[in-house]
Amino acid sequence: MLSPERLGLPDYEYLAQRHVLTYMEDAVCQLLENKEDISQYGIARFFTEYFNSVCQGTHILFREFSFIQATPHNRASFLRAFWRCFRTVGKNGDLLTMREYHCLLQLLCPDFPLELTQKAARIVLMDDAMDCLMSFSDFLFAFQIQFYYSEFLESVAAIYQDLLSGKNPNTVIVPTSSSGQHRQRPTSGEASMLEGVEAPLFYQCLENLCDRHKYSCPPPALVKEVLSNVQRLTFYGFLVALSKHHGINQALGALPDKGDLMHDPALDEELERLLAQIPGLVNSVTAGPEASCLPARTPPRVGSPWRPLHHARKVDAESDGSTEETDESET
Amino acid sequence: MDCQAEVNCGLHLVIQTSSLPEKNKVEFKLNKETPSFPGRLLQHDLERNYSSRQGDHINLVSSSMPSFPILQRSSEEKILYSDRLTLERQKLTVCPIIDGEEHLRLLNFQHNFITRIQNISNLQRLIFLDLYDNQIEEISGLSTLRSLRVLLLGKNRIKKISNLENLKSLDVLDLHGNQITKIENVNHLCDLRVLNLARNLLSHVDNLNGLDSLTELNLRHNQITFVRDVDNLPCLQRLFLSFNNISTFESVCCLADATSLSDITFDGNPIAQESWYKHTILQNMMQLRQLDTKRITEEERRMASVVAKKEEEKKRESHKQSLLKEKKRLTINNVARKWDLQQHRITNIATNQDRKDSDSQDHCQNDGSTISAFPEETGSLDSGLTSALQGLSVTDTHLVEVDGDTLSLYGSGALECLDRNWSVQTAGMVTTVSFTFIEFDEIVQVLPKLKIKFPNSLHLKFKETNLVMLQQFNALAQLRRVDQLTVDPQGNPVVNFTLWKYYVLFRLSHFNMQKINGTEVTQNDMIMAERLFGILAHVASSELPQYHLISILGDARKKQFRYLLETKGKKPGIVNEENNDSKRLVGESTNRATLNYTTRDFYNEKLEEIKEKKKFCKMYIEDLVKEATEINMKNEALQKLWPQMFIELVRDAVMEIRNKNSYMKLCLQQITDQK
Repeated sequence: MLSPERLGLPDYEYLAQRHVLTYMEDAVCQLLENKEDISQYGIARFFTEYFNSVCQGTHILFREFSFIQATPHNRASFLRAFWRCFRTVGKNGDLLTMREYHCLLQLLCPDFPLELTQKAARIVLMDDAMDCLMSFSDFLFAFQIQFYYSEFLESVAAIYQDLLSGKNPNTVIVPTSSSGQHRQRPTSGEASMLEGVEAPLFYQCLENLCDRHKYSCPPPALVKEVLSNVQRLTFYGFLVALSKHHGINQALGALPDKGDLMHDPALDEELERLLAQIPGLVNSVTAGPEASCLPARTPPRVGSPWRPLHHARKVDAESDGSTEETDESET
Repeated sequence: MDCQAEVNCGLHLVIQTSSLPEKNKVEFKLNKETPSFPGRLLQHDLERNYSSRQGDHINLVSSSMPSFPILQRSSEEKILYSDRLTLERQKLTVCPIIDGEEHLRLLNFQHNFITRIQNISNLQRLIFLDLYDNQIEEISGLSTLRSLRVLLLGKNRIKKISNLENLKSLDVLDLHGNQITKIENVNHLCDLRVLNLARNLLSHVDNLNGLDSLTELNLRHNQITFVRDVDNLPCLQRLFLSFNNISTFESVCCLADATSLSDITFDGNPIAQESWYKHTILQNMMQLRQLDTKRITEEERRMASVVAKKEEEKKRESHKQSLLKEKKRLTINNVARKWDLQQHRITNIATNQDRKDSDSQDHCQNDGSTISAFPEETGSLDSGLTSALQGLSVTDTHLVEVDGDTLSLYGSGALECLDRNWSVQTAGMVTTVSFTFIEFDEIVQVLPKLKIKFPNSLHLKFKETNLVMLQQFNALAQLRRVDQLTVDPQGNPVVNFTLWKYYVLFRLSHFNMQKINGTEVTQNDMIMAERLFGILAHVASSELPQYHLISILGDARKKQFRYLLETKGKKPGIVNEENNDSKRLVGESTNRATLNYTTRDFYNEKLEEIKEKKKFCKMYIEDLVKEATEINMKNEALQKLWPQMFIELVRDAVMEIRNKNSYMKLCLQQITDQK
């Protein structure tokens, strides 16, 4: 905790690096916004709740886009929230268009900009046919890369353009045939046409970039891994590789691995319970929970800040009221 | 009496005559078919004649003119029947030359094969000429028969009425069963009493002027579509138009002025099938005594006038309604155009302005700019106004229409109508509300008013309302109840999303909707909706921090809290409307109430407002941070200096008490000083 390098930072820098100020400011702002309501149950409790929710990642629900974008933690929380809320849509197997995904995003954040979703879709579709349908997992991982590393990607794009036009003085473009790059778009039949940029060169530039951008950057080691497999690659090829790389996903820590994307036993249980509440339901549905209630739930992820915290007290005073209500009317 | 002339070398014509009635005056009665000529015409005679072509007792007589037989009668016959000659069924193909019969008055050529009227110009005393059932193609050869009074040319092949100029005494002209297409060249026949043109190819009737004596006109079995000039016939009493093609009264309207008409037939025409046929005829032709061969009674006449009056009123009514409809249509078009403009679909604004101007001009021409007719307000309605179209308020820019159980609003200006006072009855009947050409965001703002003013509205329809986000459906949750929802794909992009219906069912599950866009909602749909979005609701409610929950639910929750506090004291068992409402409200809010929709404008407004606060917070925090860092710095500085300071403190203290005696003295001194 008290590592020397942390203590070595000047105050402001430390605070800025950890985005403490952002959260403090936001907390105070929220307090101001709702002071009549909050003063009813105490300011201390408010702050407790606020920072708890920041830890849990629920603070970004239904907030404005500027807040969601403000810190990497917010972004990661938002990604996770999106995954949790709409995993069922993906599980259902529906393929949706970019606009539909955008609609879903807007359910959680009303002013989410369309450009971001479009950019994410471009990654999945390789800048082709923007009206194509995309699967949930494809979109989600591409969106993760686009949203979490948006500034980084912009710089990468600029670098890429520079490299393409040969501005880098270090460039020595050796005309090599575009051998099987799995991420590249097919060449238009001219074998001598060069696509993309050379990987090693690209990596050098990226490394410089990463050094400059202290944070919100994919771990350089993993980027190197991505680039070491191929000779040349295009911009979107690079992005797709990033989005599909397990290591980067884990480094981010927001989403589970692709294989586990559809699994969330805790919420599935909850869902079954909700389904059971629909009046006049067929019995076969209620048989579900028993089946899924197998050996204990998967143990919470170690080290993840999103361990589900079970509130000791009942969350909804309304539900309190409702049960009491029904109790009364039944007597 | 049969008589046969001797045949000499087969040169004479064998004539078969039959007995003729004694009277000279020709009485002629016209009936449906062919005139019954004084003479026997037996059916089997006809058949016999046709079948026997070989005619054993007819010989052609050769003469100076080739192919014209010459007719001669025995002198006894000439004396007996001096003025009449019957040559029917003689298989004549031409008119024979009739010698020495200059005083002939009746000539009968029925049932032959004569193709041209010839060789009778010398019979200048002829009064009666019968050429019925021949093959005559053209009226000719009659120019000398100035005394002719009856001319029977039925069942021939005549195509045109012509060459009758000199027959000024003509009394009866029978041209039925020909191929005549036009009435012409009869205008000089001022003595003509009966004209039979049945079974021809007439398509219209006109050119009848000059027939000042015409009493009976038979036009049955033609293709007549309109009739004119009949009012120029001062004596016409009977007019037979059966089996033609008359379909409207307007096409025979001249009959109304034919004051002499007493008997008319229209059966077999399309007009006779119409529901208004009888009374329209009776109403317009008061002079009639018989219609379609049936006497007209007083009762019928009275009925006719009553019905006619009713028809007139109905027509006026429907005209008014069609006018209203037209106005409505124009207004809707106007609204639509305005909407398209707003949606930036029309690029050329200049021409639109022109068109809009001309449209509003049209409106002004019609009826002024505003027409407002509210039953409860005006109170006085036309007696004929049907209840189908009750409240109609029309201006150029929007349209509000109440049609029984449907309230239709076109254009955003129409939303103001919710502020008006609606009668309880009208408002109570409305179960469907339809919005067209109005921004959904604007509709959202008036939904509370809708809830109050039209409490029974269960079906909402949206068309061209710019529904683009699933979120917008959240706004509908505030209504009391929605049974059916129709979102027209036109102008509502949200319908293109595959999951929109499920989202609606999920978010508005407490309504228990029956139908969406016309299709029934099944149990499976509800399950799927819950399955897809149930977790969203769960997250939105249970994982949202408390303060956020409160800030979103705001007023609603407060009210609820209060209500719950109140009802705790109520007796159990009382179940009233409010109770159910609150239950539903409670049921709603446990899960989905946090899924709200604020219109884009409001949202941006709110964000703007928050900016100020954010700035303040930023400054405040900065101040705090500054303080904190200062304190921290001081703390750190203290930390650094403390060891040194501590040593000095200790040293000072030690030094102080090095000399016990002097230290004790110092302390006592301090104590005494304190007093």
